[in-house]
Amino acid sequence: MLASLFLIGAAVTTPQMSVQAASQTIVEDGAAGVARAVDRMIGGIISYTRWPGDAPGTPPTMCVVGAPRLTSRPAPVLPGGGHVVVRRTTAAVATGGDDCDILYLGRMPVDDRRRLIAWVRDRPVLTISDDDPDCLYGAMFCLAEKPGGIGFSVNLDAIGRGPLRIDPRVLKIGRSDGGAP
Amino acid sequence: MTAPTRTTLQKLLSRFHFGVTLFAVALSGLTILLAGVAALRGYADRNLELAAQLGAYGVEPALVFNDPEAAREGLDPLTHIPGIARLLVLDDRGRPLTEWTSPHADPAPLLTDLFFGKPSTMTVRRNGSAIGTIEVWGDSSTLTAYVRIGLLAGLGCLLVTALGTIILARRFEYELVKPLGEIATVAHDVRLHRRFDKRVQPLGIAELDRLGGDINALLDELQGWQGHMESEHRMLAHRASHDPLTAMPNRAAFDEQLAQRIGKAGADGTRFALLFVDADNFKLANDSFGHAAGDALLVALSERIKATLRPGDFAARIGGDEFIVLVDPLDIATDPETLAGPIRTGMADPVVLPGGDTYRLAVSIGVAAFPTDGADPAALLTAADAAMYAEKLAKRSQT
Repeated sequence: MLASLFLIGAAVTTPQMSVQAASQTIVEDGAAGVARAVDRMIGGIISYTRWPGDAPGTPPTMCVVGAPRLTSRPAPVLPGGGHVVVRRTTAAVATGGDDCDILYLGRMPVDDRRRLIAWVRDRPVLTISDDDPDCLYGAMFCLAEKPGGIGFSVNLDAIGRGPLRIDPRVLKIGRSDGGAP
Repeated sequence: MTAPTRTTLQKLLSRFHFGVTLFAVALSGLTILLAGVAALRGYADRNLELAAQLGAYGVEPALVFNDPEAAREGLDPLTHIPGIARLLVLDDRGRPLTEWTSPHADPAPLLTDLFFGKPSTMTVRRNGSAIGTIEVWGDSSTLTAYVRIGLLAGLGCLLVTALGTIILARRFEYELVKPLGEIATVAHDVRLHRRFDKRVQPLGIAELDRLGGDINALLDELQGWQGHMESEHRMLAHRASHDPLTAMPNRAAFDEQLAQRIGKAGADGTRFALLFVDADNFKLANDSFGHAAGDALLVALSERIKATLRPGDFAARIGGDEFIVLVDPLDIATDPETLAGPIRTGMADPVVLPGGDTYRLAVSIGVAAFPTDGADPAALLTAADAAMYAEKLAKRSQT
């Protein structure tokens, strides 16, 4: 009851308070440029994320659910090398198993999205959406096309609920107002 | 040839002191300044290095996301550190992501070129591979502040040095120049005023005290010589003006005395008398009793003449048995002819000779008065001599 109240409150207040698109990556011209920028951005976010009980050397798995809007085939580029296993899957499969470290949410039915977000809560799973420019629906990171390039915003509430540790420098970049919720 | 310019000991010491202290202060000041600059430069380098590390940490995500705005924010803490002139963030391909230049003008571009010509560079790494570079360019503001303070402190030190030198010089004047001045004063007094009794007082400085002691010893000797010379001089003067046998003034002393008294009496309008005394039978006594007896007679004669003298009178032996008495002054009421009376009376007692014999002396006395009988020495003497001779002739004609 309290949690749902909090959720409603967060859904109402966060657009102004803590979910402001701030990052603005320089993007080269063309669709390939956008794809490279998205890959680089996903890789950056992944590289600044720590999973509890993280075993170095084991590549994280990224499950792509729905239809990505910014790029057809997301392939994260980790700075300094490294490898991410990318797999396309469905909401049902993703919530059924336990092998997704990252959920890349593309365009999908609202129910699926809600189910996935609810499933992610309290699990060590990083959620990145590219179909939610205002970052209102509970994904931790939201990618969006901006007039000057690609940017990302941070949903601090969603991050705060999960057990993942994100480098505060990234949170700072994803937040232009500088304030905390 | 020009005279060498002289300076005082105090000035010399003062100059010497100032020079030495100035040298010491300048040397230590310069050393401290240089050491300080070197140390400060080390700190500044370290500062830039730390700033670069801080910047590298701050801009790392910005480089990952290729986000200039985030890079600017990451650099923000560095822009408040003094001594940073310029910041430059380059991505992994060497293209500038963001750049910041200090709004403050460089106070000394030359110093900056000299000490901070190269930036402190730090490679930004993510998971072991380089993703960009940050360059931190320093400026000389901290260095110039230090040098300014150092120079001010140096100036203050110089002022203190000047004051200290003045005080030291004063002290030296008191301790060294003053005793030297005392010695000089004594030497000067002795040379100029013949004050051979002056002595240098004991002095506080051993060397000067020894010098003073030597000078005192020299003065002792000089004083001895001077005293000896003076007594010798007095003796010679006495010998020149007195007869050795009777110790009466001699002819030369008499001539001088007569000229003086004529001058004085002439000026004052007073009178005096000149008595010419001659022993009548001296030659006889000399022949019959010997020269020693003659000498004894002369001494006795001089004693008896001296006995008649009043204060102011003068007696002299001017020849073998010839004596002169000046009776001066002579009252208006006194008849000059009566003046011979006391001398004649003095001759009444016989003289005891060395052999035991007695002998009765007889004298002839001629009197001449100034100015009535003569107004100059020769005339007076001639008149007195003539009167004496007349008496002698009268006595011979009686026998």
